[in-house]
Amino acid sequence: MDLHINGTDYTVAEGSGRLLVYTLRDELGLTGTKIGCAAGFCGACTVMVEGVARRSCLTPLAEVEGKSITTIEGLARRAEDGAWLLHPVQQAFVDAQVPQCGWCMSGQIMTAAAYLGQNPAPTEEELVAAMAENYCRCGCYHRIRRAVVAAAGQSVQAGSEEAA
Amino acid sequence: MSDKIAKAPEKVAGQPGRSRWRPTRRGFLIGAGIVAGGVALGYTYGVPWVRLQMAGIFDGAEGPPGSFPKEPWAWFEVLPDSRIRLYLMKVEMGQGVHTALAQVAAEELGIGWADLDVAQASTERDMGDSLMTSGSSSVTGLFEPLLAAAATFRSMLAGEAASLLGLPADQVVVAGRSFADSADAGRSVEFYTVATSRAEWEVPQEVTPLKRWQEYSVIGQSLPRVDIPAKVTGQAIYGMDARVEGMKYGAVVRPPTLVALPKSFQAGQAGEVEGVIQVVIADDFAGVVAESRAAAQAAVARIDATWDEGHRWQQAELEQLVTVGGSGGVVIQEVGDVSRWLGGEGTLTAEYRTPLAVHTPLEAQAALADVQPERVRVWCSTQGQGFVRGQVAKAIGVDEKIVEILPTYVGGGYGRKAGWEVAIEAARLSQAAGVPVHVGWTRAEEMRYGYFRPLTHHLLSGRVEKDGSLVAIEHRQASGDVAFDFLPPFMSAVMGADFGAYRGATIRYDVPNKRTVAYRRDMPLRTGWWRGLGLLPNTFAVESFVDELAHGAGMDPLAFRLRNLGDEGDSGRLKRVLQAAAELGEWGKPAPAGRARGIAATIDVGTPVAMVAEVSVDGGSGKVRVHKIAAAMDCGLVVNPDGAIAQVEGNIMWGVGSALIEELAVQDGQVVATNFDRYPLLTIQDAPEVAVVLVDSGDGKPRGVGEPPLGPVVPAIANAFFALTGRRIRQLPMNEARVKAALA
Ligand code: FES
Ligand code: FES
Repeated sequence: MDLHINGTDYTVAEGSGRLLVYTLRDELGLTGTKIGCAAGFCGACTVMVEGVARRSCLTPLAEVEGKSITTIEGLARRAEDGAWLLHPVQQAFVDAQVPQCGWCMSGQIMTAAAYLGQNPAPTEEELVAAMAENYCRCGCYHRIRRAVVAAAGQSVQAGSEEAA
Repeated sequence: MSDKIAKAPEKVAGQPGRSRWRPTRRGFLIGAGIVAGGVALGYTYGVPWVRLQMAGIFDGAEGPPGSFPKEPWAWFEVLPDSRIRLYLMKVEMGQGVHTALAQVAAEELGIGWADLDVAQASTERDMGDSLMTSGSSSVTGLFEPLLAAAATFRSMLAGEAASLLGLPADQVVVAGRSFADSADAGRSVEFYTVATSRAEWEVPQEVTPLKRWQEYSVIGQSLPRVDIPAKVTGQAIYGMDARVEGMKYGAVVRPPTLVALPKSFQAGQAGEVEGVIQVVIADDFAGVVAESRAAAQAAVARIDATWDEGHRWQQAELEQLVTVGGSGGVVIQEVGDVSRWLGGEGTLTAEYRTPLAVHTPLEAQAALADVQPERVRVWCSTQGQGFVRGQVAKAIGVDEKIVEILPTYVGGGYGRKAGWEVAIEAARLSQAAGVPVHVGWTRAEEMRYGYFRPLTHHLLSGRVEKDGSLVAIEHRQASGDVAFDFLPPFMSAVMGADFGAYRGATIRYDVPNKRTVAYRRDMPLRTGWWRGLGLLPNTFAVESFVDELAHGAGMDPLAFRLRNLGDEGDSGRLKRVLQAAAELGEWGKPAPAGRARGIAATIDVGTPVAMVAEVSVDGGSGKVRVHKIAAAMDCGLVVNPDGAIAQVEGNIMWGVGSALIEELAVQDGQVVATNFDRYPLLTIQDAPEVAVVLVDSGDGKPRGVGEPPLGPVVPAIANAFFALTGRRIRQLPMNEARVKAALA
């Protein structure tokens, strides 16, 4: 079975009922995607499938075969000079010094990045609602709010620069 | 298998340093199937990148508490690129300890921040520290030893550099990653050249002079945390992520009730599940090793286990068990004579209760064990690798000397990762199967099979003079064990009362008569370390009650507190944080319509903290909303102010959750929750706005920040609820049912 993850093709064993989170973490070693509840409650396992946030703990491989999957490891891009460029959401999380333990952070960042990809100019309320199903046990909510608001501003800007 | 799949290269952080003090290098695979040419992220940040190169510390649980590495080689290594690596035995669980300790080291090394690298030490690197990463003690405990080690290390290298350059020692200065002639920058020698120029080094006898705290330039800066780049890019490795070649997955049979004892285990149908490698059966233990987690979990459910299930405990029985009274109370504070003042007319009394709670870190317990005849290695998320080492050795019957524990990043500790169950499970399964085995607990296991914040019960009585001065307060509290479950029985016998359970219980106001009595209650489930230990329950009770006394005396709760605190010492420090929090939280100004404010304060591990909470309540649903919390904390000399503020923010969220929603229910002998549906956590939508101010009492001493801010959160909210509604909720959590009942 072929999986297309972060721009790379992977071949994994057949068995379409397996859950994406375990294939990523245990079979492919892409442990940047975390697991918190394995039941859809916490959001730690969030990845993007065709740009849309998906809980990989609820996603059988059959549903993503052949689709474009992005995990936290694939969110940063290479600039023309070869340097790595963090995604604006990642950069905002660094700037606001958001993570504590960090276990929830891949999910937080993927959720925010997917949401901003679809709604680049949200209100703060919309943003917070979009983040409402991602738990952070360390309680970084204050900074998550600050970072996603900053990233929203930035992605609006980035969008308009591209347009210009 | 497709040719697109190739072996991952061994991820080895850093290059070998100098053999004299170089720890053994170990490969650490990031997954067994990374695509060749796939993404291997590597950022240059200009800040040190925390490596997952792990080598040793802790001398096991035997060492005297509070002993620290004395010689600089234990801490430092010069890398071939002349950066200096700092090895830390303290684990990073989000509290920013690696950054803070790196700042302490950088201060006396006198090198650039980017030239310092930080690495987690494993138990192999004999650093002789027997302490856990806990109790908000890492920076305070290591501050002076680390400053001294760094200063000594620098002066040894500088002295050697001077002789290599043929200069007097006082004429060499640090220039980047070199020592240079202060008169001629062209004459220099790199750190690595200096470090490798001798085979043997002598640690100087005389003490290298340290900077005065007024001269600090790295300490006191809000430098960016060294672990954050790895955490926003998915590169940070936690126990749940630990991978080595050839590893398999394990799962373990769990008891059906809180007190169940195994009668027998039989493999049953477990071996028939596809992917099972071995079913492991012992008298007290049964588990499975399989090719995948799914197979291990499916198979473990098919092991035939019979149990002596014991009594099926109910919630109400537990509450009754944890009730103040009877014999066995230990007086832990006695000033004056409360009995002369309390009991008669004018005495106010009240009763408080707090429920069981569970840490439920988002990364569940996880360990990877590789048990070989001559050598045992365990990678795990742990706050106490020295204890894990001893426990694993005992469990699998080997000499502790061959056991190495390699701590990873910890995906949430809060006291829960001070345990060692999962490391033992992985080690037993690995020993039986002869392959490395990873055990990662499920959320249900994390909810049910660890240890909990105990139930508590508090009886308070107090009396206030007409002028608003406190005459007497008594606090009697009962709690399940906190520390005693983890200590040798003789200690509990000697101490009688569990210091963890009564943390925060004593009365800190200047009252001529005060008394605190602790009752130890043995609960039929494991209770133990939980962020702040007894601080949250006790501060909830005491600071709610102080508020009741203030209102009873017809006084403003802030004015009442200030009235009963002196200006000197801790009283004065407490007073100043109360004033600072009041100012930040707009105490005394009218709250927005439909809201009210409450205040509370505490002093814990020498750090006073005060908070003002602003709340509203939806009378229809009974939902309390915490809009804002303003906090003031005096943690003395702050190594990293932004990091300290982040700890206050996190504690506030943790406290809001405990105040409003968290309660672990027991029914028919078992914890009800198996996942977040029955034990929900606070979400960003219910998170308050927070404002934090740090107050420095100016004595140049750092104090703990990881837990003290947890104290005032809950009573500040409860007191605001009273200010808003005139009703007091004395049992946590203040959930919708209780709020509606209180308002009815
Ligand atoms: S692990 Fe998927 S939502 Fe929690
Ligand atoms: S940073 Fe620890 S759970 Fe969010």
